[in-house]
Amino acid sequence: MNLIEFGQIAVNAVLLSGILALVALGFSLVWGIMNIVNLSHGAFVVLGAYLTFYLHELVGLDPFVTIPIGMVILFLLGFAVQRVLINQVIRAPLLATFLLTFGLEILIVNLVNYFFKADLRSVTTRYTGAGLNLGPLRIPYIRLAALVISFALVAVTAAFLRSTRPGRAIRATGMDIDAARLTGVKVAQVYALTFAIGTSLAGAAGSLLSMIVPFDPNLGGTYTQRAFVICVLGGLGDVGNVILGAILYAFVDVFVGARLPELSQAFTFGALVLLLILRPQGIAGKKFYA
Amino acid sequence: MTLFSRLTPLVVLGLASAPLISLPAMAEETIVFGAAISITGKTAKEGEYTRDGYQFAIDTINQLGGIKVGNKSYKVALKYYDDESKSERTAQLFEKLVNADKVNFLLGPYASAPTATAAPIAEKYRIPMVEANGSAESIFNKGYRYSFMVLSPAKLYLRGVLDLAKSLDPSVKTVAILGENEPFSKEVAQGAADYAKQIGLDVVYHELYPSNTQDVSSLLTNVKAKSPHILLGAGHLQDSLLVVKQSKDLGVSARAMGFSVGPSSPEFRANLKSDGDYIFGATQWTSALKYNGTDPWKTPAAYAQGFKAKYPAYSVIPYQVAESSAAVAVYQRAIENAGTLDPLKVRDAIAALDMMTFYGRIKFDNRNVNIYKPMAVEQLQPDGNKYTVFPVEVAEKKALYPMPPWDMRAKR
Repeated sequence: MNLIEFGQIAVNAVLLSGILALVALGFSLVWGIMNIVNLSHGAFVVLGAYLTFYLHELVGLDPFVTIPIGMVILFLLGFAVQRVLINQVIRAPLLATFLLTFGLEILIVNLVNYFFKADLRSVTTRYTGAGLNLGPLRIPYIRLAALVISFALVAVTAAFLRSTRPGRAIRATGMDIDAARLTGVKVAQVYALTFAIGTSLAGAAGSLLSMIVPFDPNLGGTYTQRAFVICVLGGLGDVGNVILGAILYAFVDVFVGARLPELSQAFTFGALVLLLILRPQGIAGKKFYA
Repeated sequence: MTLFSRLTPLVVLGLASAPLISLPAMAEETIVFGAAISITGKTAKEGEYTRDGYQFAIDTINQLGGIKVGNKSYKVALKYYDDESKSERTAQLFEKLVNADKVNFLLGPYASAPTATAAPIAEKYRIPMVEANGSAESIFNKGYRYSFMVLSPAKLYLRGVLDLAKSLDPSVKTVAILGENEPFSKEVAQGAADYAKQIGLDVVYHELYPSNTQDVSSLLTNVKAKSPHILLGAGHLQDSLLVVKQSKDLGVSARAMGFSVGPSSPEFRANLKSDGDYIFGATQWTSALKYNGTDPWKTPAAYAQGFKAKYPAYSVIPYQVAESSAAVAVYQRAIENAGTLDPLKVRDAIAALDMMTFYGRIKFDNRNVNIYKPMAVEQLQPDGNKYTVFPVEVAEKKALYPMPPWDMRAKR
């Protein structure tokens, strides 16, 4: 591997880590605050991707313009899904939450499959594939924009949790649900808000992915897995940990992919196993979101 | 991964036990063909093509009066289940088709990996399986007697692209090959690498990536450093799209770019728009070929016309549809030749077959592989159409070569 190749591969890894952080952020919030491993997370990523695809294809909107629209729609959808479905399993055993969210994933994916067909889709625009040449290095514009938007959304989420009343209520609920209730926090609403933020972020990730990878209704599963690995690697408890986990995941995936491509997935999951043995709370994880 | 795969069977078991299609009112003189096909999951689209090809052939045969066994005519029907693109499901469902549904004969699933799990079932119950969508030869190197493949085998897939590039430009020297790490694509990639060396080309890069990959930028970065004249991809539609998209992202340009699977499907153009221009795709069959057969359709053109009349949603006919119909045509001829529905006699009749069809010549070697039909090459051209450009004798148009580098192309 010469220096130019090394540089390009490092650029690829950084660009990948942005989108992965965004995918994992909503998943991490729901897990950390509500103690629900949301196996349907990827299905909301898929919905975001299809929203962007159709708003671009049928209405003619620029795919980046569709991101806030998709986020609002998925926020409302997530809010409703939490109130109607997820609320039933809030304090249920882990297996019940797995079954419910896994069932939800199958339901959404099959509905998408039924209405939008199994065809592969991509959002292709005039600027698809265009990029910045930095000497011998190449930075595709769309991936760069995805990185910037991802990190911006991570920062906004962090600020929201830290400095707004609802954000603080979310964190308080994550720390101690009974104490939060005593101080007047409406837990049911906080959970619905948390879940809705989670699905809304998943939707944004889906919108960005639709411009980067070809997708079909089954796109989500692999991203739920990745979100899971990233959350375990980085640890729950802080928005920054998601970025840490995503960067680690992206670098292992891309660098192993450059030399032993067949084994790149084996290595990323191997890193997960190793970490679970050595440091089960994750690299920087804490018990609660604080 | 473990978490998810452990949960899958729990939820899925309940869902998939009902057959997906109801059979036409079944009289006793119906021959039933059974298959498990990927209607959902990774290869859902190709599974749909497979099912439509089987169903179209079955409907056509019924329209023409069914299959003659001795002097009795039988109607034909298809019974299939969704294997969700999971090979382990395929095997279970084939067991069910044989034991519970008592189908007469078997048709193959979609793709090599599930075909490899279905073939032992056919062997175990001594029921023939004619398959049209698993071209990995590894399946047929195990000495199975009851499985037959109407396809040209995997290792021939990309030969046409190499031959074509070499004939258009004697100065091509180097080839890079990216392959998906699964049986069929590995054989395609290896077959291309072996053939490239045989015709004097230098294989400067040959690597495999995992199935379901979402990123091939690392491999393409390595490829870019080698600046190969020809870039070949051996994977499935999703990977082929990803390789094209990311080659453009990273500015990887070759004089010719070819894929084993992808360009022949209408989705390739729909996804890439003009970025798909100049790309070559291997194909088992196109409606532009000039065969003259003895099957119900006889020529590719007539087949295409009949199929489109019945399935107007298809703008182009993918080869998966045609090869699936060809598998049913094999049964029709073999059963008529055998004059009985006895599985062993029908098996022998299939093995002895040598017929010309709309799909090309069908004859099986001693491993039951149809090595007698060549692969064709198509090219997506800037006028928005796709043309058969190889073999040259049946080409619709001359191939456009070389492919202009990404940054030299006019903006749309």
